[in-house]
Amino acid sequence: MHCSKLPQNMDGLTLLCCCLVLFLSHIFFSSVSFAENISESEQACMACHSQNMVLNFEGGEKLSVKINIDEIKKSVHRIISCSDCHGFKAEQHPKRTFKTKRQYSSLASRTCTQCHVSHKTEIHSRLLSQSPAGTVCTDCHGFHSVQRARELPKGNNYCLNCHNREMSITFKSGEKQSIHIHKDILDSSVHRNLSCTDCHFGFSSEEHPVRTFRSKRDYSIAMSESCRRCHFDKYTRTLEGIHYNILTKGNLQAPVCTDCHGAHSVYSGRKEKFANAKKCEKCHSEIYSTYSRSVHGGALILEHNEDVPICSDCHSAHDITDPRTTDFHNAVPQLCGNCHANKVLMKKYGISPDVLDSYLQDFHGITLKFYKQGGKSAKPIAVCTDCHGIHDIAKLSSPNSPNIKANLVKRCQKCHADATANFPDSWISHYKPDIRKAPLVYMINLGYRIFIPFMIIGLLLQILLHIWRYAANR
Amino acid sequence: MKESGKEYIKRFGPFRIFEHWLNALVFVVLVLTGLSQRFHDYSISQWIVMALGGIDATRIIHRYTGIVFSVLTIQHIISASVGILFLRWQPSMIIHKKDFTDAIDNIRYYLGLTEHPARCDRFDYKQKFEYWGVVVGGILMMATGAILWFPTMAARFLPGEFIPAAKALHTNEALLAFLVIVIWHIYNAIFSPEVFPVDTVMFTGRISKERMMHEHPIEYERLFGVSHGSPSGEEITEERPVT
Repeated sequence: MHCSKLPQNMDGLTLLCCCLVLFLSHIFFSSVSFAENISESEQACMACHSQNMVLNFEGGEKLSVKINIDEIKKSVHRIISCSDCHGFKAEQHPKRTFKTKRQYSSLASRTCTQCHVSHKTEIHSRLLSQSPAGTVCTDCHGFHSVQRARELPKGNNYCLNCHNREMSITFKSGEKQSIHIHKDILDSSVHRNLSCTDCHFGFSSEEHPVRTFRSKRDYSIAMSESCRRCHFDKYTRTLEGIHYNILTKGNLQAPVCTDCHGAHSVYSGRKEKFANAKKCEKCHSEIYSTYSRSVHGGALILEHNEDVPICSDCHSAHDITDPRTTDFHNAVPQLCGNCHANKVLMKKYGISPDVLDSYLQDFHGITLKFYKQGGKSAKPIAVCTDCHGIHDIAKLSSPNSPNIKANLVKRCQKCHADATANFPDSWISHYKPDIRKAPLVYMINLGYRIFIPFMIIGLLLQILLHIWRYAANR
Repeated sequence: MKESGKEYIKRFGPFRIFEHWLNALVFVVLVLTGLSQRFHDYSISQWIVMALGGIDATRIIHRYTGIVFSVLTIQHIISASVGILFLRWQPSMIIHKKDFTDAIDNIRYYLGLTEHPARCDRFDYKQKFEYWGVVVGGILMMATGAILWFPTMAARFLPGEFIPAAKALHTNEALLAFLVIVIWHIYNAIFSPEVFPVDTVMFTGRISKERMMHEHPIEYERLFGVSHGSPSGEEITEERPVT
């Protein structure tokens, strides 16, 4: 940095003498390192600029012109002298005035372009084109401390040297995307120990390729490919999922990794059920709102109950299959059974854990079982969701429940079109028939349970007696 | 009718033989397709269902075989009723008080409490038990089977609970019928030392005079008189009117 105007309150010559004396004694007695390895011309500059001096601008701004020679010696420019950038030697020190610091910086930065031409190409030209007017080299690179790019601190801090500023990229479509990265967001993500280039592969301290993408969406889809380099298991599962499937069919709105997990803010997906359910809402808002009114969604949202299923518990997270398929439909009882056949969990809510088994032993359940074994099926057989609903599952005690007898006939009619008002009575619920709930069935079963053994034992005894008599007669 | 030194008497006409064997075939099909639904957890059941082309195919086979069974049963009831009421057939299957005493007498004989087994007519109490089992059970299976085939139709006329009740009746009655046939009928027709290796009457339609005398002495005496002298050899048919 060059001092254009000596402090007003000092006589120039006195100052110079004092400086020189102090400076020489200083280097002599404390054997400061630069004494041996700085050029004479620099020594001449430093004779003054190692002092506390302030430059006053016309606009009233002040700038210290004290130079720390150590800083220069650590910079990449240690091999060039002050005059190489500042354009004059100590003995030819011009006297200039500047209106503002900014004016001075702009002027001084022009010097850089004498050696460095990359501002006209590649990443610098792009950055400059987007930067506020008047952005100059020193704004990013500093001046006396300027470092070779690859010598800057490695890791994320290296990238953040630039990306800690407000800047954006523009896609061909005209969309803009900020590429200002907040360090605190990175630090709170699960990837805090990764470096930027782990995901942004192809980039390094040496390389910053210029790429163009048609749209923001194209970029997100391309970037999500990075995830599979570590999360290959999840990636392979998504290949079987419906989202990937519709993506490959050309629907670019189908979610990729970052749509659910975030990009720089990525956090562990397992932690919070509510947040997880919310992810799906972004696209499936209608279903989410239905779900939020259901017994499961209501408990999740209002009571923060973590026992209830969220979207991914039934649909899975990565290998989401099309729920409209027969296979998915046929898997529903096991899906519901994951919780509803869990004795410990169901006891907590006073729900019978026998619902799955009672279904499987009934006409519909038996039919389903054989359908699942691959036999031809004329039409889908009723599973849990066909009577209880899917996202709108309600408590049985709620008056609007589709499962209380008054409403049930409508559900029956979905398959049994000609069902009449008393047809739902044929469904003896998920209970074992007993004397109160289904007396007729109970009595018939009880009768046969007594009669069949009585009959069979009687017949067997008679056979044995007959054989015995036959043998005795011979 | 003489053959290899033995004298035979005609017991069943060709139609009754056909009726028996068709009924047997239908019964086997119904049992295989029906019990494999009831005992769906067993691997043999699953094999049967899959071999028949899945549960829908199994049910179709079961239902249409059920129709054949129903036609057979109704035909039998109608022809027997008409025969007895208008053609003066012997109502030989009617259960009498004597059948109960015969059963008790026979068990006493087996236990060695009496010297002789019960003296039975054309059909002994065991045969009547099976016959009425098939007829009454058949009517029950037809009625409950129809309810299960058309549950919504049934619910129009019957309380809803009748449908699971029909299922309970149908499956339990089927199991009972299956066990009675497998244990009792198969014993009496094959494994009983008196007929082993097989009772040929339902193949040939004739019974040896000697066996008839032994198993159906009352019928024998009615036909040939109490004397054990040489019988006429005249063929006696079931439909022969009582004169």
